[in-house]
Amino acid sequence: MIIKNFDPKQLAQEYDGLSPAAIIKLALKSFDKIAISFSGAEDVVLVDIATKINPNVKVFSLDTGRLHPETYRFIEQVRAHYNIEIDVLSPDAKAVQDLVRSKGLYSFYKDGHKECCSIRKVIPLRRHLAVLDAWITGQRKDQSPDTRNAVPVVEKDAAFSSADKNFYKFNPLANWSSAEVWEYIRSNDVPFNALHEQGFSSIGCEPCTRPVLPNQHEREGRWWWEESTQKECGLHVADQKK
Amino acid sequence: MKITFVKKIKIDGSPCRKCAEVQSRLEKDGYIDKIDRTVIADERDNNSEGIQLATLYEVDRAPFFIVESDVGDPLIYTVYFKFVNEILSGKTNEEDTAKDILDSNDLDFI
Ligand code: SF4
Repeated sequence: MIIKNFDPKQLAQEYDGLSPAAIIKLALKSFDKIAISFSGAEDVVLVDIATKINPNVKVFSLDTGRLHPETYRFIEQVRAHYNIEIDVLSPDAKAVQDLVRSKGLYSFYKDGHKECCSIRKVIPLRRHLAVLDAWITGQRKDQSPDTRNAVPVVEKDAAFSSADKNFYKFNPLANWSSAEVWEYIRSNDVPFNALHEQGFSSIGCEPCTRPVLPNQHEREGRWWWEESTQKECGLHVADQKK
Repeated sequence: MKITFVKKIKIDGSPCRKCAEVQSRLEKDGYIDKIDRTVIADERDNNSEGIQLATLYEVDRAPFFIVESDVGDPLIYTVYFKFVNEILSGKTNEEDTAKDILDSNDLDFI
């Protein structure tokens, strides 16, 4: 079922101050073809909340082939703990082989992460989302304060919508801080990835993630070597002195 | 229909990497002849035509395409594969499409 006249802008305003549980309820009520994207990190909170609402909620994880052993174990732990199926999505084997053959196993340190992320994450994700109408993510405003201030709790997903089909994204944790997420994890006995105890606040692929120090932003633990090239597509108007 | 391709010169005078990449994809995919005009947005010069167009259409990324037709407002595309799919009814390869998606969206959380 898709709610007729689904209006993400209006709903984003209406639900902005509401709890993640209320937002997940809205998501599951509005769409049948919907799934949670679980990265093996603190977005486990989504799984915890959603399974209390619907124990058969669909969950998927992107297995890039480069995750930490702790993350694989954690995904398995979550599967068993909540007694749910998790669709573990693998990248196209030939595309990975071609990349590794031509550029080696660590091309991202030299060429930037996008080529490898395209093959190992975005293509499998796009294929998976193509059969859904919406997804639920753990995206939060505080994860990247410079670019994410505008994370609404529900939105039309420009990345995966097409001319023929609108696709929607729910971000139930958008307004929660990291501290609130951890407060929930502790007070609800939610299992968590062992890497968090080793200083990892952001958990991604093993070669592209590192622990951060207290007071360092969690994004400094990801793709730290390519900080300066991030904004190349922006268009800046010169501050011209007369 | 009239299609304008706006590409950027960076504030330090060097060409924009993404713009060059999109231009070579237009050539490789056989769509370069569909472009009626190519315009430069020179970040060092607010009066350059591309900067004026970016300001007019409130675009903050480069490169971008302006598609004008006899009816309605011009359409603006900042994502190559969407422009190709929706305006030229063409297809782009899956890997390039994925890179476009990463370039134009914040997907760091996946
Ligand atoms: S995070 Fe690193 S290893 Fe993982 S897909 Fe992206 S570039 Fe490749």
